[in-house]
Amino acid sequence: MQNLHRQTLIGLFAVVAGLFLMIVAIPNWVSSPSNVRNIILSPVFWPYTLSALTIVIGLGLTVTGHFSSEDMSQEKAEVPGGYGRLAIMAVVMVIYMFGLPRLGMVWTSMLAFVATAFLVRTSHPRTAVICALCVPLILYGFFAHVASVAIPQGNFVRLP
Amino acid sequence: MSLMDSILAGLSLVGNFEAFFALFAGVAIGTIAGAIPGMSATMAVALTLPFTFSMQPIIAILLLLGVYKGGIFGGSIPAILIKTPGTPASSATVLDGYPLAEKGQAGKALGMALWASCTADLISNLALILFAGWLASFALNFGPPEFFTLILFSLTIIAGVSGASLLRGALSAMLGLLLATVGLDLVYGTNRFTFGDPSMMGGLNFIAVLIGLFAIPEVLAMVWDPKPHKGQTRGLGDDKVTFAEYRRCFKSIVRGSFIGVFLGSIPGIGAAPSAFLSYSEARRKSPNRDNFGKGELEGVAASEAGNNGVAGATLIPLLALGVPGDVITAIIIGAFMVHGLQPGPMMFILNVDIIYGLFIGLIVSSVFLFFIGSVAIRGFKYVADIPRGVLFPGVLVLCVYGVFAVNNNIFDVGVMFVMGWVGFVMLRNDIPAAPFLIAFILGPLLEDNFRQAMLMSGSSPAILFRGPITWFFWGLTVLTVIAIIRAGIRATRTLKRRA
Repeated sequence: MQNLHRQTLIGLFAVVAGLFLMIVAIPNWVSSPSNVRNIILSPVFWPYTLSALTIVIGLGLTVTGHFSSEDMSQEKAEVPGGYGRLAIMAVVMVIYMFGLPRLGMVWTSMLAFVATAFLVRTSHPRTAVICALCVPLILYGFFAHVASVAIPQGNFVRLP
Repeated sequence: MSLMDSILAGLSLVGNFEAFFALFAGVAIGTIAGAIPGMSATMAVALTLPFTFSMQPIIAILLLLGVYKGGIFGGSIPAILIKTPGTPASSATVLDGYPLAEKGQAGKALGMALWASCTADLISNLALILFAGWLASFALNFGPPEFFTLILFSLTIIAGVSGASLLRGALSAMLGLLLATVGLDLVYGTNRFTFGDPSMMGGLNFIAVLIGLFAIPEVLAMVWDPKPHKGQTRGLGDDKVTFAEYRRCFKSIVRGSFIGVFLGSIPGIGAAPSAFLSYSEARRKSPNRDNFGKGELEGVAASEAGNNGVAGATLIPLLALGVPGDVITAIIIGAFMVHGLQPGPMMFILNVDIIYGLFIGLIVSSVFLFFIGSVAIRGFKYVADIPRGVLFPGVLVLCVYGVFAVNNNIFDVGVMFVMGWVGFVMLRNDIPAAPFLIAFILGPLLEDNFRQAMLMSGSSPAILFRGPITWFFWGLTVLTVIAIIRAGIRATRTLKRRA
């Protein structure tokens, strides 16, 4: 697999995704009324057409990737610890998302700000902590009191 | 309505402090954001969008247009002072701007960038005013088959020119079209990929998708490789641009502006290719061509005229046809939709006051750009010092607040995060995100027009070739595909020869 050009891999992904859509996703998750007489007007026609085109493009990518000598710039840019930091960031995002209704948007944002700042190895930790406290509060002030958005307050500390 | 009535109607909308303040603030925000290395004009417009929801439509759109124009110019400041283009459109400015800064003439280079930007901006705005109305009146003759072929052509060209490969661009567009099918079917109202979740029945939120695609991947890229910007900020120097120098470069500025107007009015091409084309034309025609790349003022003028000439012209297909020409205008079309407006030929009849209000605002924005740009040049030092380790966590928090504010729905925040990862994977694999977003916006329109055309013709595809307009767009589509394939083959041959 490692010898395959990145474009070929993208093409194979597109073919698999197109096949998955045609065989599994569309029959199961797109409903069509039984009285549609003409397939072109059916709700499934457009998704099927797009899936078929995705497969065709995927095949094109697979074939051209095989003959391509293009140096896809990101291919060689491996960074030490990069995947680990990305995994932590994914966890931060999941906690952020689920923390919003429970802790409230302001407090969750403060925590997410600090976590992200340390994840990107900020060289100004004090500034980052001060901003982590101020930015969510300022945004809360604008959205809640100027734009009248019901910002989630959470179950613990409520803001005016 | 006569022209004078339309102008007066537009003036009554924008002739107030609020509108001018929004425009002024927009240009200022855009210039600052464009000048921050790591922020782009696109990100600035996307992040400003949620703040406009509670505003009147005209105020909101003027603010966003101000951010757009300011962002394009702002990108030239770090390009000249620290050799880091603030936006991709400013990449050509580095070629002669930074060598000038190294010679201690950064102030002169920035001054010329500002003069060229404002001149090109004005020319571009005038082109918009001249051509948009004409194009819209022509587009009033379009029916569903004509719109279908127009959108197909736009998607083809956007997919072809947005990245290094037509096929990767086409895949990106296809994924965008597929994502646009989520929600209730347009004709029968049946579920498509909604999994019984009411949050998905209206389709995925456009703003969540766009912020996810264009802001979150930048945060993830910073997490992947956390590095501060390394450029060394150069001093401005004592030299200022003179009127004689502006006059010497005027021909290149006007030529660059027209190149910008022409390329900007074609969907998908954008500001960066226009800047490079304008630069190479200026080098070809200039008596100082040997000095290009070593610090030639005319080179800075040409690049800046090329990229700013695009700004007004990209609004021509947006306002006249309802087709966004690039990612920023795709975001601006989102702003129109959020405020219940549908850009396109009918807008020139139903909302002529808004159209003329925008025209007046755009002309005024060129003046604001000149004054704000002059101050921004001197204040850049403070903007460049914003640490990236504080900026990007701030962007993340801003994205979450902004996306939540659209529908007061946490589900949208989840969509944004997922799209952020999709965008990051695309970024890492050189798959352009612009065709994805534009296809996502145009997808429902494409399908709707196709199905309407089929209903009109009793499902006969012959209707898609019914007249000269459809033939014209089919012809353009075929020509575009051939041109892009030929360019791809030529590039592959060059690569193989080098290897």
